Amino acid sequence: MSNLGHTCWLCLLWSHYQHCPIEIEWHGIWFVTGTFDYDLVVIGGGSGGLACSKEAAQLGQKVAVLDYVEPSVKGTKWGIGGTCVNVGCIPKKLMHQAALLGTALKDAQKYGWQIPGPISHDWSTMAEAVQNHVRSLNWGHRVQLQDKEVKYLNVKGSLLDEHTVKGLTRTGKETMLTAKNIVIATGGRPKYPTHIPGAVEHGITSDDIFWLKESPGKTLVVGASYVALECAGFLTGIGLETTVMVRSIPLRGFDQQMAGLVTDYMEAYGTKFSWRSVPKSVDKLSSGVLQVTWTDEQTGKDQRDTFDSVLWAVGRAPETKTLGLEKVGVKLNKESGKILVAADESTSVPNIYAFGDIGEGRPELTPTAIKAGKLLARRLAGRTNELMNYDNVATTVFTPLEYGCVGLSEEEAESRHGKDSIEVYHAFYKPLEFTVAERDASQCYIKVVCKRGGDQRILGLHFTGPNAGEVTQGFAMGFQCGATLTHLKETVGIHPTCAEELTKVNVSKRSGLDATVTGC
Amino acid sequence: MSHYEEVKVHGYDEFCKAVSERKGNDIFAYFSDCVKAEPVVRGVMSHLPEGSVFFYCQVGERPYWKDPNNEFKKTLKLSGVPTLIRYGTPQKLVEEECFKADLVRMMFTED
Repeated sequence: MSNLGHTCWLCLLWSHYQHCPIEIEWHGIWFVTGTFDYDLVVIGGGSGGLACSKEAAQLGQKVAVLDYVEPSVKGTKWGIGGTCVNVGCIPKKLMHQAALLGTALKDAQKYGWQIPGPISHDWSTMAEAVQNHVRSLNWGHRVQLQDKEVKYLNVKGSLLDEHTVKGLTRTGKETMLTAKNIVIATGGRPKYPTHIPGAVEHGITSDDIFWLKESPGKTLVVGASYVALECAGFLTGIGLETTVMVRSIPLRGFDQQMAGLVTDYMEAYGTKFSWRSVPKSVDKLSSGVLQVTWTDEQTGKDQRDTFDSVLWAVGRAPETKTLGLEKVGVKLNKESGKILVAADESTSVPNIYAFGDIGEGRPELTPTAIKAGKLLARRLAGRTNELMNYDNVATTVFTPLEYGCVGLSEEEAESRHGKDSIEVYHAFYKPLEFTVAERDASQCYIKVVCKRGGDQRILGLHFTGPNAGEVTQGFAMGFQCGATLTHLKETVGIHPTCAEELTKVNVSKRSGLDATVTGC
Repeated sequence: MSHYEEVKVHGYDEFCKAVSERKGNDIFAYFSDCVKAEPVVRGVMSHLPEGSVFFYCQVGERPYWKDPNNEFKKTLKLSGVPTLIRYGTPQKLVEEECFKADLVRMMFTED
């Protein structure tokens, strides 16, 4: 006997099963008459959830979106928009820009700018400006939802059954919504290494860093994901003493040669790296600083140092625990905890869908969530059969030396096709802007991984350098169209740019020749 | 007795002076080039928070407004009229948005 909420036909009251003397088979007698409150209820108002709900509303569906931010351990919370807008892409890129401007100011003097005194950075000024921009985005989303007639509820959603969502306000008030279709787009939150004493009490995560009113000071960033490296990168760039603690390899899942160039640049530019180190404990001293003890895996010895802040960037966990998924029968991947989804974002329960960071095997990116959300809305409204194409998605890591890529890493290409079936073209180049600024360009590099033979189809494209995101975006379109090395060579470069070096690439790794670009 | 204060001002300097005299209050400001009061906004004013201040600010003659360097555009970053703002927050409604009662009500009642 199930104890799901239902409308009891005997007493016509909405309540739980237990009071009803007659056992009714719940599944199968659901309202075929279609008297649902909504056509679509979306749980999660982030990149994916908002795109899906707005698109559905525009197609004439009656939609509600539920968004709720459980405050972080440190108490940080934010408005609608999800991770990207509030504690991800947007504030990250703005702080990265703040750091780049610091470097530009240093370069400026070589270009003739007379800068009177030493340059210093004020965290509070930057934080306030960034936070205000994020708030304007929260507001923009609110206006759009209202305008597009999407019902927005600031409640914590959970599933009662396959057509019923319960919403809980901050004060504990309950709301019930029934829907023909339910979409879960609750994303993820940063993980805390709970097994490390002091980690939860004294550390912060990416949920907190962008909302700090005061500078984090001397910071230890634990982790080697792009979150860790990007944060460590901008903290160093604005003048803070920063250390990155890496257990094994940087940027797992990315091309490792490129990952090495990224970290080499960071080391050369002042970020300290503690390689092969595992934190043991975090203690708060009477002075207020945090003392971190860690094990150096190479020597086996313990080390100790003090920091003003410890930022954990050791992975993200999917937001599924309080959704009531098990009860309703939505299956999860046991290891990752993410929701198992089919190519059309459907789950193990027919009218329940899930996409974005919460979907197993999906990229944790905003553009894919947005596109998948819009297509899902269109499919649910019966306007299309088109499925989301998750292949050939370009990305960029916004570290001090940016890294953009599309397609396979060299090791992935080797694994899939065999080392003898691929040809890797590469070049070390120097951005023109670095010359006058007397900046070291040792890690500015291009790699084009191709299928050997014929027109040499491009399997992967990798670029480290300034504005890597801007450079990679255009090439991603070529990649999507099945570009070959021949296409690349037939493309005339724009001069003088860094991007043009991609069109001029001609030295293969196999040849063993020097890959340094010389002259004009 | 209404639960909010309504202040009519004319021009940038008068607006700034009146705002500085009311620091600490929840301030809403409606900028317009019309003399006539906007009926949609008027209709929702009962939703204004207790103790708030509502400015009805005339931005001035057309030539002044058309000048891209006028203080409203430069300092307050107004892009068009009418504009409704919640002073000190990123909350704003521009042009057609001001004529939608549900959007205006949302701004008056949002935290």
